[in-house]
Amino acid sequence: MAGGRRTGPAGRRRATQSQRGLLVRAGRLLARAWKMLTRRLPTSLRRVALGILAASFLVGFVSAAYVASLDRRVRERFEGVRFRLPSRVYSAPTILYPGLDWKLVDLRGSFERLGYRAASETRDLPPGQYVWGENRVRVHLRAFEHPSRPEPSRDVVLRLRGSSIAQIRAMPDGTELGAILLEPEELGAYYGPNRQQRELVRLDELPRHLLDAVLAVEDQRFESHGGIDLRRIAGAMLANLRAGSIRQGGSTLTQQLVKNFFLTPERTYRRKLQEALMALLVEARYDKPAILESYLNEIYLGQRGATQIHGVGEAARLYFGKSASRLSVAESGLLAAIIQSPNGTSPYRDPERATRRRDLVLELMFDQRRIDAASYEKARQEPLRLASITPEQGDTRYFLDLLHRQLADHYPSEVLTVEGLHIYSTLDHRLQSLAAMSLSEGIAALERRFPALRSDDPARALQGCLVALRPQTGELLALVGGRDYRVSQFDRCTQARRQPGSVFKPFVYIAALEPVDGGPLVTLSSFLDDSPLEIDSRNGPWAPKNHDDRFHESVTVREALENSYNVATARLAQEIGIKRVVRVAQRLGIESRLPAVPSLALGTAEVTPLEIARAYATLASGGIRPEIESIEDVVDRSGAVLERRRLQFERVLDAGTAYLATNLLEGVAERGTAASVRAGGLRGPIAAKTGTTDEERDLWFVGFTPDLVAVVWLGFDEPRSVGLSGSGGALPIWRRFVEGATGGVIRGAFLRPPDVQRVAIEPSTGALALAGCPERREEYFLRGTLPTHVCPDGARPGDRGDGVPRRFLRWLGDRL
Amino acid sequence: MQRDARALHVEEVAAAGDAARRASTRLVLEGLAADSRQQPDRALSQYERALQIDSGNAVAYLALARHHIEQRDAPRALAYLDHAQLLYESTQADSPRVSVHLLGLRGNALQLEGRMLEGDALLVQAARRAPDVWGDGFLSADELR
Repeated sequence: MAGGRRTGPAGRRRATQSQRGLLVRAGRLLARAWKMLTRRLPTSLRRVALGILAASFLVGFVSAAYVASLDRRVRERFEGVRFRLPSRVYSAPTILYPGLDWKLVDLRGSFERLGYRAASETRDLPPGQYVWGENRVRVHLRAFEHPSRPEPSRDVVLRLRGSSIAQIRAMPDGTELGAILLEPEELGAYYGPNRQQRELVRLDELPRHLLDAVLAVEDQRFESHGGIDLRRIAGAMLANLRAGSIRQGGSTLTQQLVKNFFLTPERTYRRKLQEALMALLVEARYDKPAILESYLNEIYLGQRGATQIHGVGEAARLYFGKSASRLSVAESGLLAAIIQSPNGTSPYRDPERATRRRDLVLELMFDQRRIDAASYEKARQEPLRLASITPEQGDTRYFLDLLHRQLADHYPSEVLTVEGLHIYSTLDHRLQSLAAMSLSEGIAALERRFPALRSDDPARALQGCLVALRPQTGELLALVGGRDYRVSQFDRCTQARRQPGSVFKPFVYIAALEPVDGGPLVTLSSFLDDSPLEIDSRNGPWAPKNHDDRFHESVTVREALENSYNVATARLAQEIGIKRVVRVAQRLGIESRLPAVPSLALGTAEVTPLEIARAYATLASGGIRPEIESIEDVVDRSGAVLERRRLQFERVLDAGTAYLATNLLEGVAERGTAASVRAGGLRGPIAAKTGTTDEERDLWFVGFTPDLVAVVWLGFDEPRSVGLSGSGGALPIWRRFVEGATGGVIRGAFLRPPDVQRVAIEPSTGALALAGCPERREEYFLRGTLPTHVCPDGARPGDRGDGVPRRFLRWLGDRL
Repeated sequence: MQRDARALHVEEVAAAGDAARRASTRLVLEGLAADSRQQPDRALSQYERALQIDSGNAVAYLALARHHIEQRDAPRALAYLDHAQLLYESTQADSPRVSVHLLGLRGNALQLEGRMLEGDALLVQAARRAPDVWGDGFLSADELR
């Protein structure tokens, strides 16, 4: 910052030495004077005189010590960390392009949240303003300051056709643009205990009329006084004496700064004296520009929810949606006007009072010749045009907490709350809001439908979480760790481990489908035994049952997973080996401990929803497991990039097996337990799995499209029965989220790799269906695993020639 | 700069696909332009934004693989190549003009990992198929663009 110290370290050493010399000379002089003065006095009087002198020295010494301590406080504050700057977290930027549905991305809402102001059409549209016309939006995008990828400020026109952006052109030359970025939205910040928000500004960045406005109303003789203004004090004292209490302040800007930096807000003479002394010290040590700059960065200018707004930089953003460097005379007048009482004269609460006070400031500026008559009139005529206040985003706090935990290793709290870092995250602001709304409204809807779920005790209320990722890149797009952060900050997406139930089953099937040691154990048309089963386990015999309390004898792999049969799945897991299931789950992204027990196949090991999301993301991206990324960059306040996170992924499953698993899960969404996922008309490729644990304590729904994976979990924090299934409780929340995210139409397709063939089979036997086969349906196989039986020749209904590789038949034979 | 008709140039597919795909490809082209100007951070940003719009855009992965070869980051290059290959093969878009880049870039990545002979074998194949682009054993951003 400009301004600061009068002397450097060498200067202070010289000052200390000369001070000592002065003291010595002063002492000698005093001693001589004492001798001269008391030479003719009687001894008794000499003693009294000595006493008075000693007392005077003591008082002087104590006063000097007191002043020295005040001076030290002043220096520590001005030469140490002057301002606590909270580190801010930003969302991913919104990308606008021709063909995008602007209603779906809530373009107008984005403008408002970013503090853009609606304006009338004008030739020179300033940055931060937009004009919304019939089929056209003109917006002057603000520059997006980022050291490695700055986006310039741009005046653009978006031609609209219905809800679609038809074209984007740059003004004024009309160049067609392929894509433009809206700057990231601020999600929140890491505050210190005082929850102060500020944007630091330098004096040379600010318009002169802003400084003039502040000086005109708060301290017109700032440039000439030495810290206290005796005229002002005299006037205030007179007024206070008449009133019999402190009614009027005579404080200079310097005194106000001192009060804010160091002192309590009490209004006593003692406190006033202290303030005056410190103001004198500040003025002795630091120059006027430094003091004014500190003042303009410190001054309290209002509230935004629970956050205090300090400094003209932050206030300009809050009230006008622009940088302080671009404030007009009228806007500067308004900011200066509210200094005295930011909440009482808030232009949002009482615009008329704020305008009157602003006009008073403008009048003072004119009277003091700080502005001419024309500027004064123009400013007075300017209507109040405020940016819309966006409340703090409560629904992002789970995500902010997650980042805090992730950043803690390199950036402890003391750094985050003071250093003013800029943290650019992967969060999609729109999806985050959608996720929060879907979860809270979804749970509320369940409670209305099933009043037994409701509880007056928030600690016993039904809870949930929703997490969404971009599967190919692992970017975390949305995270809502509970239904209400204000009630519970516990993040159920990342911190709660719960039994996943049937959402774990796909790992069993993947282990069986994966070609290992010459071939897979099963194909999608293989038949599994769903007859009664009893397994010896550490806890005694275990006999799994199906949800419909029936046994289905012989079912295909596809049927078993689509209908989530427990018995067939448990038997299959035994056949391939539980340890192999564990390895597959871990490879796909499960990091929690997975005990190798028979019931693991049915999801009895506790995992987090985020892990489940990652594992399913691996399927959605064709067997390539992504690392979850929530941060893109960390930048310090000077603009230096401290960290640039890179996307990371690794192939952990062959593309063919991943496709088969995905196809199975598409079947779950088409015909199986997740079939109601399209009840709202959702179109396009969806793969999904429902999950309900024993006694319905945990409800899960995991679903993915080619571009998005989302997991919903519902349950009580103290596990007890919800009385619903995953499809009844969690699925509707997922559906609502994805419908909102996609507009009801899911883009893209699950791509079939070349080593997966699609052939027709005879459903009851699994035989390859040739021409003439009476029944046929399509099925998918890895190359080299096609059924060996054919229909109509060589196969009859009731045969179980299912084309399973001979290896499995041999294995089975060995065990019978 | 030579344009080799035996190798894919991203500009040729700029108009292909739906709106998201076209916007994504335009960002890839901007990224390649940034890479040409030796602005790797800006280039990376454009490629990642391209994936943000359309995570199924194979040219974005191809450009990212090339970018990471240039940054000498073999593991990332191979991971992006894997994505690109899967997408091209799954959509039957893996023409010889595409596969020459997949071969060549994989060759570069293997050499970065110290597997010189394996890498060289692939580079020789690529050079044979598209000598004007792969003749020097390297794919520049301009050549891909």
